[in-house]
Amino acid sequence: MAGASTLYLRSSTPPRRATAESPVARAVLIGIALVFLGLFLFLPLVVVFQEAFSKGAAAFFQAFQDPFTRSAIWLTLLVAVIVVPLNTLFGLAAAWSLTRFRFRGRSFLVTLIDLPLWVSPVIGGLIYMLVFGARGWFGPWLRENDIRIIFAVPGIVLATVFVTFPFVARGLIPLMEAQGLKEEEAALTLGANGWQIFRRVTLPKIKWGLLYGVILCNARAMGEFGAVSVVSGHIRGKTTTMPLQIEILYNEYQFAAAFAVASLLALLAIVTLFLKTYAEWRADRQLREASL
Amino acid sequence: MSITISNVSKSFSRYPALNGVSIGIATGELIALLGPSGSGKTTLLRLIAGLEFPDNGGTVSFGERDVTSLSAYKRRAGFVFQHYALFAHMSVFENIAFAFRVLPRRKRPPESAIRERVDTLLDAVQLAGYEKRLPSQLSGGQRQRVAFARALAIEPEVLLLDEPFGALDAKVRKDLRRWLREFHHRIQLTTIFVTHDQDEAFEVADRVVLIDQGVLQQSGTPHAVRSNPANDFVRDFLDLPHK
Repeated sequence: MAGASTLYLRSSTPPRRATAESPVARAVLIGIALVFLGLFLFLPLVVVFQEAFSKGAAAFFQAFQDPFTRSAIWLTLLVAVIVVPLNTLFGLAAAWSLTRFRFRGRSFLVTLIDLPLWVSPVIGGLIYMLVFGARGWFGPWLRENDIRIIFAVPGIVLATVFVTFPFVARGLIPLMEAQGLKEEEAALTLGANGWQIFRRVTLPKIKWGLLYGVILCNARAMGEFGAVSVVSGHIRGKTTTMPLQIEILYNEYQFAAAFAVASLLALLAIVTLFLKTYAEWRADRQLREASL
Repeated sequence: MSITISNVSKSFSRYPALNGVSIGIATGELIALLGPSGSGKTTLLRLIAGLEFPDNGGTVSFGERDVTSLSAYKRRAGFVFQHYALFAHMSVFENIAFAFRVLPRRKRPPESAIRERVDTLLDAVQLAGYEKRLPSQLSGGQRQRVAFARALAIEPEVLLLDEPFGALDAKVRKDLRRWLREFHHRIQLTTIFVTHDQDEAFEVADRVVLIDQGVLQQSGTPHAVRSNPANDFVRDFLDLPHK
């Protein structure tokens, strides 16, 4: 026994745990994962930027002079500015009520929040076509009152709200479940009312988890293609968002321009990834501090 | 302030936690609610604080005032939670000052007065100089005392403690017991604490209230309970010989 333990001490690698794979198996598994990531994630990203600059930096910046491209960027920002606060409020309200109250149908509601993640975004778009479209439930009424939802900005906002609404709630529910209610109860016994408890106790406790959800929601809101494509009608300069504009440019063989806009979206994704990782790390730390 | 609990019952989704409990507590008394885990003692404490509400019929009164339907934030009983429940993102100072910060503006004391109050409370719990620390930078016993100071900041007329020493190691627990005893002696505040540890209950409390399965089993001074146990549960729980 003593001999075995000195052997461990002398060897440069740490002792293998019984559940660990052999070094060869480990190298192969890690290798496969890296090759896969490189081939399907990293390489496409490199291609996007390479293509974007394939006709030089001047052509790259020229792509953003196009009025339709500019309006697409503005529309994407506008949609995000409307959708993200809406879904932040919704997500907070949903997480609050689902973690604070026990009621019949609660677990069904938790499942329902996930619905947009299971169904194809195209269906998300089609739902609004069926409700607000020319032949939908409210179609005739909307036409009589000259209100445009489908093939207009409100439809794009609605479709984006649908697709992005799980992110904030999903990020918060497990965090709030784990943190429990003790601090809120303490605040209550100290004379704080509901709003004061939320602002001074709950919000600081969940802020990084909330930010994490908001970042994901924002990334999806800006990048959504399927649902928006169905309700947009592709009216150039009016109802095309960045992803739709990229498709149009690509179909018209304006590859450099298409990739230039795509690179802007990709850049956003990378920034999102870093912010997300940071928020996730902070949320994790907050959770650990809560369990002290 | 005296507390009167009469015929209080509480069920959680059909499982009864308390069943027809009545107790009178005199002003300035130090009471231990003693019982095994799941006996309903913590539920009773939370009912007194206004963190739970009794099922129909039961009433809770503070002095002459019926507070049965009053929410915790209006009842203003000082409550010390088992695992302290300090605000993790606030300094010790802000934890204690919280009760002043949430007062409506016209009732809120000026910053200098808040500072003075918090300093006094920090002195009272022997934590002067710790105001800038975060709860995560304190030991268990120190956190416990911050929780005390925070509960006392509202100048409560009733102090409620849920397993106040449960999460601490033996030595600290012993010191804090003595400290609580002296502290209570000094300020004469009606105090109720929950414990499953009979030594703690008998050493600290003026009167011990034994609870099992949601029913009050016996209530009396440590001496009276020990020399005259009311039933088999009390004998078993206190390791006293059966008749």
